[in-house]
Amino acid sequence: MAQFTLPQNSKVTEGQAHNATSATTKNARTFRVYRYDPDTKENPRMDSFTIDLDKCGPMVLDALIHIKNDIDTGLTFRRSCREGICGSCAMNIDGTNTLACLKPIDEVKGDVAIRPLPHMPVMKDLVPDITHIVAQYASIEPWMKTESQAPARERLQSAQDADHLNGTDGKGPSACILCFCCSTSCPSYWWNGDRFLGPAILLQAWRWISDTRDEATGERLDALEDPFRLYRCHTIMNCTRTCPKGLNPAQAIAEIKKLMVARQ
Amino acid sequence: MSADPRPLSPHLQIWKWSLTMALSIFHRAANIAVAAGVVVLTWWLAAAATGPAAYDQFIMVLSSPFGKLILFGFLAAVYLHLFTGLRHFLMDMGYLLTIKTADQFGAAILLATAFFTVFTWFFLTGGM
Repeated sequence: MAQFTLPQNSKVTEGQAHNATSATTKNARTFRVYRYDPDTKENPRMDSFTIDLDKCGPMVLDALIHIKNDIDTGLTFRRSCREGICGSCAMNIDGTNTLACLKPIDEVKGDVAIRPLPHMPVMKDLVPDITHIVAQYASIEPWMKTESQAPARERLQSAQDADHLNGTDGKGPSACILCFCCSTSCPSYWWNGDRFLGPAILLQAWRWISDTRDEATGERLDALEDPFRLYRCHTIMNCTRTCPKGLNPAQAIAEIKKLMVARQ
Repeated sequence: MSADPRPLSPHLQIWKWSLTMALSIFHRAANIAVAAGVVVLTWWLAAAATGPAAYDQFIMVLSSPFGKLILFGFLAAVYLHLFTGLRHFLMDMGYLLTIKTADQFGAAILLATAFFTVFTWFFLTGGM
């Protein structure tokens, strides 16, 4: 059942304000960052950090790294590649999920609000617990399944068939980096995430269904034929709107639904 | 919910709304409004079957400003639900699934709802 408000232990309070600017600062900006410390029993809070943008790079991730390096070393967030391919720094910035490393600070007007991916259990600060969603990913068996005799070399695919995966514009389902921006943007996933697979996992399901080398399409569709796993998608389209890679999970889910009808 | 020691991150409270997200919830709200409006129509039929006194009472309530507001809202909900239903039908067929087309069609059905509601209202009431 949908719960529209936050539980008592999750209500966000006002935190500390840090000012790292000086009289010579020309380019000040305030970042409001969600903080939660599991070692205390305190509720999460929003700390604000006013920093000099001339001391860091242009992206939101650069600002977070600057804050961690120079103001509050306790600030905790995931990051790795800083170029939008690892998916680690997925977070909610300015009310929308995206990758901090791909989000220019000057795209945000006013204070920059940074929170963890929505409707997830928070381990610390901007780090959500993704155990459940990764288990859901495992549940669709994201590997190639075949029954035919294995060829002497790799299983080949025509360029046209590969386009189903890569997309002619490079934005096909195999370009997904599993950052989970989309799933955590989806109100259906917020309310029914225990049973609805959500856009990221369904996009991956589609990636294997549409792979011409995979021979388990029927089995995969059987596994999705369920009121919750697939059919909680109500084309709200937050997934497609929020995807930092410009992919279209909503379209992929619609394609799965169409196949379900076509095979009846 | 069990007493999960981990806090739940903010969701609906902080999300930046979009047209497609609003239309999804409008579709449901209009559905509820249409169902409620059907109760009013049932009252109309029941009043007509009961007799002149009951029918006059029904007409009196529905011709008050509040009654007119209810009828106008019902009319708007019928049109909105018709168009958002059509939108869902097209999306299930695989159309309107890019942000651009979804936003354009969404704006179009909001304009269509406003136009048809006002047009029908004036057609039926002569501008009352």
